[in-house]
Amino acid sequence: MARDWSGELVNCIRSADRVAANLLLNDWAETRTYEEAVAEVLTPALEHFGNLWASNVGETSLAQGYVAAKVAEDLLDRVLAAQAADGRTVEMEKGPVVVGNVEDDYHPLGRAMLVAFLRSAGWNVHDLGVDVPPAEFLDKVEEVGARVLGASAMMFSTARNVIHLREEIDRRGLRGRVQLAVGGAVFKLRPELVEQFGGDGTAPTALHAPALFERLWQRSLELDPVTR
Amino acid sequence: MKSLERVLATVGGQPKDRPAFVMNLSLYGSKLAGIPPEVLYADASAYAQGQIAVREVFGPDLLLSPFLVPALGEAFGSVSATGRSQVPNIRQFATRGAREALALPLPDVDSHPRIVYLRETIRTLSARYQGEVPVVGVLVSPVDLPPLVMGVEAWLEALLSEPDTARALMERWAPFCADLANAMLGDGATLIAATANFANPTLVPPRVTQGIGRPALEATFGAIRGPIILHHGGARLEPHLDAYLGLPNVAAYFVDARDSLPQARRRLGEGPILIGNVHGPTLENETPESARSLAEAILAERAGDPRFIFGTSAADIPLATPPEVITALVDAVCAAGSVAP
Repeated sequence: MARDWSGELVNCIRSADRVAANLLLNDWAETRTYEEAVAEVLTPALEHFGNLWASNVGETSLAQGYVAAKVAEDLLDRVLAAQAADGRTVEMEKGPVVVGNVEDDYHPLGRAMLVAFLRSAGWNVHDLGVDVPPAEFLDKVEEVGARVLGASAMMFSTARNVIHLREEIDRRGLRGRVQLAVGGAVFKLRPELVEQFGGDGTAPTALHAPALFERLWQRSLELDPVTR
Repeated sequence: MKSLERVLATVGGQPKDRPAFVMNLSLYGSKLAGIPPEVLYADASAYAQGQIAVREVFGPDLLLSPFLVPALGEAFGSVSATGRSQVPNIRQFATRGAREALALPLPDVDSHPRIVYLRETIRTLSARYQGEVPVVGVLVSPVDLPPLVMGVEAWLEALLSEPDTARALMERWAPFCADLANAMLGDGATLIAATANFANPTLVPPRVTQGIGRPALEATFGAIRGPIILHHGGARLEPHLDAYLGLPNVAAYFVDARDSLPQARRRLGEGPILIGNVHGPTLENETPESARSLAEAILAERAGDPRFIFGTSAADIPLATPPEVITALVDAVCAAGSVAP
């Protein structure tokens, strides 16, 4: 019977065991490549775990989500290292996108997980860190030509600052072209705040963010197809 | 009844004129007293002024020392940022990881300025309301202290990948947390409230809750010479209460707004106090009518529970919340009438 690599990886993630996950992927890479592991092991494992996480079947924990992000990041690092060693140009195929914590928000963990999942899904991510003022977000968006901006906020008090981000997008005439993805604990708790604060979409977990960014990127292209 | 009598009746499961209530109006005192948050969280007398205003306007049965856990991180060397209308947050951590944290000197609970600030608020409030209103000393348990000193990610890494280091850190910091709690009790606090998120299965796997979290809580709580409120700290508590049952000196459980109060009572049994569970940080979205309905539904469901305290869970009630919304909650509690076992 063929070994269930992705099932084993899900078990490592559910045990929040990053070391075991990396050993498993090293085992895989003895006969195949890390690049193949992305499509054949990591992606199905994350899809399966993501469903558990979103529905909270089996009581998923923050630690499991964190380890899932770290496993994705670790594998991506190995893929990029292998490509560089082969002399191949390392380029992310999707994006660029810009992410950061909104002004006054200093809770980086959710954003760090978001960045790991986006990069492992092939997105070129510009991560601005914590406490990012609206103008700084939009300066970077315009500089790199991003169509999706991801804003993270953990607390209700800081999530309100998404409103100022919305205002800055509109003030620069970028409504539609720049789609605003919002995420963080408060939006999971009170989903109605996404629209109330001016967000264009959210995802149930950081693991679901790549799919959200795909949808928002397509929406941006439909609303403003011009390349700048 | 005085608030203290009402709370003591709740502890003993005795009859009282109405349910007791507690609200996280730590920050809101700034609005009522006209004091900017950066002053409120730096000057103990300003904070006390805010809480005196809270007591005069809304009359909660318990007053809180500052719900300001970043101050504990500051005591270890972290740096906070003060937002325009919010509680300060850590913007720069004292260390990068658990091994470095092990080498940090422990702050002196009698002389570190940030700890003196916290303690002075308790001294001032308890002196003013002695025999009338209990004051709660707000802390974190040792499992929640490292995120304030090294950040959540570094602490998660230590818990998951360096359990021996994490355990050593808990052994070093548990006495500090207990000493501070005992100092607050000595200052006049009636109860200590502490969070224990990183012993909660919502955040960490069983090998951490059982192997690191629970022993750290047992060591700390067992050394505290007074009753403890275990606060949910933003994570759901009710499904995981079994993980916390039997911890020494825990007299009350403050659950999350997503938690079921009847389920929590079933899990806890009749003895402990149950506190909850309107979500404070989103009250600004409510109208007085909707807030009153929320409170009435909770109070009706808990009618006859002699060890229930109505409370707003999670972080502070935002400054933008109209006072009429808070008053509506208070009115609902006052209208709930007497509680007999």
